[in-house]
Amino acid sequence: MFSLFYGLWQHVFSKAEFHVVILGVHKAGKTTLLEKVKSIYLKEEGLPHDRIVPTVGLNIGRIEDANVKLVFWDLGGQPGLRTIWEKYYEEAHAVIYVIDSAAASSFEDAKSALEKVLHHEDLQGVPLLIFANKQELPAAVTEEELARHLHLKGLDERPYMFQAGSAYDGTGIKAGIDWLVEEMERSKRTEVLMARTETAEKI
Amino acid sequence: MGAWMSRVWFLMFPAKEYKIVVVGLDNAGKTTTLYKLHLGEAVTAAPTIGSNVEEVVFKNIRFEVWDLGGQESLRTSWATYYRGTHAVIVVIDSTDRARINIIKDELFRLLQHGDLEGAVVLVFANKQDLKDAMSPAEITDALSLHSIKNHDWHIQASCAITGEGLYDGLGWIAQKVAGKATTS
Repeated sequence: MFSLFYGLWQHVFSKAEFHVVILGVHKAGKTTLLEKVKSIYLKEEGLPHDRIVPTVGLNIGRIEDANVKLVFWDLGGQPGLRTIWEKYYEEAHAVIYVIDSAAASSFEDAKSALEKVLHHEDLQGVPLLIFANKQELPAAVTEEELARHLHLKGLDERPYMFQAGSAYDGTGIKAGIDWLVEEMERSKRTEVLMARTETAEKI
Repeated sequence: MGAWMSRVWFLMFPAKEYKIVVVGLDNAGKTTTLYKLHLGEAVTAAPTIGSNVEEVVFKNIRFEVWDLGGQESLRTSWATYYRGTHAVIVVIDSTDRARINIIKDELFRLLQHGDLEGAVVLVFANKQDLKDAMSPAEITDALSLHSIKNHDWHIQASCAITGEGLYDGLGWIAQKVAGKATTS
């Protein structure tokens, strides 16, 4: 009887947990974005952006928003570190792909790295937020221009959104994450991962 | 005069202390790493029986650093040191290919310990000055660091004798546990 009520209680009050991988080439602003996300949602000061060192491994961020828990996995973007990315795909509910929209010289690298992400079998149908970062800089291109530059194939196979914003001043972050949460909640991918988790817990 | 000023400064602005445990197999360079950070010089270290503990002050952050003996018979007692730990440093002998799987198993065993739930993990790929040393990328693969999904982790090439990479690694820990400035 107790376990019945406990199960019901958990079902009603427990929050769904989603894993989001933050990817992008070196110096796109992934860790700065993660720190800003933490400062927005946790109401605590994140690391100042000038104190952030290049990621050689993994940074984790955990936040709660309305009825969900979000776990962010921020991974290093240097070419030698990108082989690690795919090890985190299997458990990811969504991808945030960060691009420095003020560094036109990095667009080609960003495009080819993103195409590899899009074509990976472990990420089929995964919601994708492309964050056109560093909009506070004068050289930044708009999200429309960035979409034209990238000219990506394979985007239509998944929910996706281009979001212009700035990890430095926080613009666009809330809108992007709100969209991502909405998509994750109704994604088939989420159903599959939830079912897998429940099966693993029973075992 | 400088020491006196420093003492007054710490009395006025006491630095919070963070606990680090340093683990790794025997002969990985744990004690050399500890004393290079503590004294700023390379020491000739004998195998550690039990542990060494020293205070390391870095950018006004005090670290209590525990260097634990790495011999097989001592590894079972590592867990007794975990309580209150903010960071784990795993020192790897980058030339010791034969035993990389042993430290991998030890690493994943320690990560399951409840007392280390919130700890960050720094891997020192030590002895990079030696010929035939594995690169940090090779060590990342060999240790399956990408399987770590509940702890922040970072791998740093190092040479404990010269000190290369040690402060970069400590800076990463400082950034993680104290949210402090780590770049000069």
